[in-house]
Amino acid sequence: MTSIPTPRNPLAEDAPVRVPDTGGSWFESRHSSPQQEERPGGGVRFTDHPGDDDPDEDEPGVGGPEGGGPAEEAPADGGLPDGRLPDPDGPDGSDRDRPEGPGYTLPPVPEASWTLDSGRRRSWISRALLLGILLIQTAMSVRLSNTAFQDEALYMYAGHAQLSHWLYDTPLPKDYNTYFSGAPTLYPIAAAVLENHFGMLGVRLFSLFCMLGSTALLYGFTRRLFNERVALGAAAMFAVTQSTVVLGFFATYDAPAVLLLALAIWIVVRTDRAPAFAVLLAAPFAVLAVGLKYASALYLPSLVLLAVLTGRRDKNRQPLLRGVLLAVGAGGLLWLGMTFTDVLKGVQATTTQRAHGTEPWTELARQCVEFGGLMFVTAVGGAVSYALRGRMNESPLVRTMTGPGRRRRILLGLLLTGTALLAPAYQVHLNTSVALYKHLGFGLLFAAPMAGIGLARLVGPHFRHPQLGILLWVVTLALGLSQSTWRFDTWPDSTRMTEVVRQHVTSTGRYLASADNVPVYYTSDLTLQSQWTSTYGIGYVDGAGALHTGDDGYRTAIADGWFDLVVLDGVATPDTDRVVAEAIARSPHYRLLGRIPFTHVGGTGYYRIWVKQ
Amino acid sequence: MSLPTRTAGAGRRARAALFRALAAALLVLPLAACDLLAQEPLGPAAAAGPSAAPSAGATASGTAGATPAAPTRTATPDAALPYDVRPLLKPAKKYLGVAVDGAPASMAGVDEFAGRIGKRPNIVEYYSGWGDEYDVKGVTNAWQGGALPFIAWEPYKTPLADIAAGKHDDYVKRYAAAVRNTNVPVAISFAHEFNGTWYDWGTKTTTAADFVAAYQHLHDVFTQLGVGQVIWVWSPNSINPVPTVALKPYYPGDTYVDWVGIVAYYTHLEAGTFDTLYTPTLNQIRTFTDKPWIIAETGSEPGTRKVSDIYNLAANVIKRPDCLGFIWFNLNKEVDWRIEGDPQSQNAFKQAVSDGRYSFDVKSP
Repeated sequence: MTSIPTPRNPLAEDAPVRVPDTGGSWFESRHSSPQQEERPGGGVRFTDHPGDDDPDEDEPGVGGPEGGGPAEEAPADGGLPDGRLPDPDGPDGSDRDRPEGPGYTLPPVPEASWTLDSGRRRSWISRALLLGILLIQTAMSVRLSNTAFQDEALYMYAGHAQLSHWLYDTPLPKDYNTYFSGAPTLYPIAAAVLENHFGMLGVRLFSLFCMLGSTALLYGFTRRLFNERVALGAAAMFAVTQSTVVLGFFATYDAPAVLLLALAIWIVVRTDRAPAFAVLLAAPFAVLAVGLKYASALYLPSLVLLAVLTGRRDKNRQPLLRGVLLAVGAGGLLWLGMTFTDVLKGVQATTTQRAHGTEPWTELARQCVEFGGLMFVTAVGGAVSYALRGRMNESPLVRTMTGPGRRRRILLGLLLTGTALLAPAYQVHLNTSVALYKHLGFGLLFAAPMAGIGLARLVGPHFRHPQLGILLWVVTLALGLSQSTWRFDTWPDSTRMTEVVRQHVTSTGRYLASADNVPVYYTSDLTLQSQWTSTYGIGYVDGAGALHTGDDGYRTAIADGWFDLVVLDGVATPDTDRVVAEAIARSPHYRLLGRIPFTHVGGTGYYRIWVKQ
Repeated sequence: MSLPTRTAGAGRRARAALFRALAAALLVLPLAACDLLAQEPLGPAAAAGPSAAPSAGATASGTAGATPAAPTRTATPDAALPYDVRPLLKPAKKYLGVAVDGAPASMAGVDEFAGRIGKRPNIVEYYSGWGDEYDVKGVTNAWQGGALPFIAWEPYKTPLADIAAGKHDDYVKRYAAAVRNTNVPVAISFAHEFNGTWYDWGTKTTTAADFVAAYQHLHDVFTQLGVGQVIWVWSPNSINPVPTVALKPYYPGDTYVDWVGIVAYYTHLEAGTFDTLYTPTLNQIRTFTDKPWIIAETGSEPGTRKVSDIYNLAANVIKRPDCLGFIWFNLNKEVDWRIEGDPQSQNAFKQAVSDGRYSFDVKSP
């Protein structure tokens, strides 16, 4: 495989003037007509793949646009050996005394121009492009700005509480195991330690690191599954979607969970030709992802199936065995985790037996389309295209190799794109859109390789339609920009509210607040979480010992002057806020301290703060 | 032969060094781990005393320990925090108020009055007609001059039913927004002396229900706009001249009232003692509210009683723990209520309010 000459300057692929082949491409003479040249057909087939399909079912148009004349022929574009066009007025162009024969001889073309094996130059160019994608992702994430979202505040505070409990034996304010959707002793601890050193910015940058790692791993396993171009497309699409951008600057356990899932996928794909037991390396990371965020378990079956579909079959490498090993390994670790920790209640309350909401499926579908629809459609397009035509490379050499058969391609496309539907389907089942915008990102990680194929196929061989790919990516980018900005504006900037509240809280007061985790977090040096009541629920015992819950609980507590300070934002729980505000208006115990304006996606809102008088 | 020896020696030294490093690591790592966690005990006990409390911005640092850096984003120039008027509602000492000509647009009259009585008044009352814009400069002058602005808001030529119906909401909202944005505490007495017959909004033209509805509507609009800087004063006239008008129907409720502000002057028409002027009114008011009260307007006619009236007033205000103080009407309106025309009255006033319990710094009551 050395010194395969090329008939012409590859850069002149779409040159308008071409000399039709006179028969016999230097590598495949059957496909030399200009019409056939546009077709990149042919399938990459690997001989060690399970022979489930007939190689001939693949695209027959092998040869593609590279199909020019033999190396000895004159170049169709009349280029000079060094690639320059001849000067028609120059001595070369006017030298009519030259003997008949080729005007020039093409130099040997490096094998890397055609080879399936990625040469160093191609690798470095791809890595440079990946770096560019990561820089864009970074820029998109770090431009987001707002004070802590209530979940961020809760996790960081819980981490501090847990650490303080371990180190100083201070009591835990709440049993976080019972309502956290991830293990309280994993991410919250890391977040608290990071925050102790670098503040909340450090915790958010940790999320950025995780999401950048996820994109890089996505590039890695997609490159392994297909090729660099698809991998770059997948990374480019994934990097700019709303969920990736938001999670990249969101101090919750979603980002590290995505990273661990990506790492598990990468290991599964990377061990495709290794002995089956090597896939077990993915199990700890997959299970750790589940530990970080229980909903990650939704993707374990996809991971197992991916292990099966990517496995090579021979006597030592059994695809089914890979799947079984991964399932058993991950299942065993999960069993251990559930047995020796106290997270079952939390798993049930937040994940497996989560309370059903009331949102109609149409609204959830709208959100899914809005936040992930474009990438999903691209992935579906890629999956269909991949099922129809497996060839992933423009090189004429691919004909000498065989790739996955159609059945396997269909299954792979179904698995990867179908996985993106798991979270939406589950949330439709629950009738709730809570965290849907984040969960979509987990599925899109799986669908991204297919989206990469879709993008590559849209661009076409030899970048024939780059404008289409650019258009698709720019639209995805624009959506990611606007939707992530919108997302960070869905909660109020609590800066001034916190300043006011800090002036009026003490270590003995009792406080009621919408999204109480935010003031709890920002006043953690002045108050304890146990001093705060949220507007999500109350159990108030009056002086006679009677328990009041729900709206009645708020009304009674306020009528009794139970709270020393009340903060409502009208955003987190508008219905309860209304009940509380009406109760305050009837209570002589409180007076309005003031109204703090903020802007969010709903326009201008106000923190209303009452103090006891 | 020496080479193997050196090699063996070097190996031993390397192993020893490795052992020492491991031992040190075993000793240091747990300590370092605790240090790396950088976690302090969570909660108020971890706070570094009072300095941790007042300013959120002051705690913003990169090494927050258990204390998260308070958010510092979007600090705007007008980001003054809403003034908490609660310390002004029931101060330990007495208010010494005054209404003088030209104040608070100019504080010269207040300064002159302060010079005469030897003490700085800490309330400056002025009158705002219905339709007048909020006097931002005036209230700022008063506050900077150490006095709580006290506005008697007079709804001349405006049916209170219209105010209650929201027909003047644009004006009210504009007024309220100005109060909020100025962020200076202010006492507002709406439609004072409503139980009398002598004002447009008096009992001849306005029912108790209309008064209450208008008062509550004003309060609600202010609340809706987030105005927390107002001390709401419900200000009846002494019931002595209008004994048949019951006050309770005029009372908007404790959730709408911070102070009761009784208006009563020492005149030749009445016996002229604190008990006869204020106590009957207060007794009736105490049947439906326990809100603290202030003498929202008072004065004494020129004459021989003026000196004793001043002593009587000042002494009884001190005696009544629920009485917040008084506002002296030092104007020449219908009658010359001022003290400056009469050296004896001026000296009496100076001596009467020389009690240390009169006047205080309203910015740190």
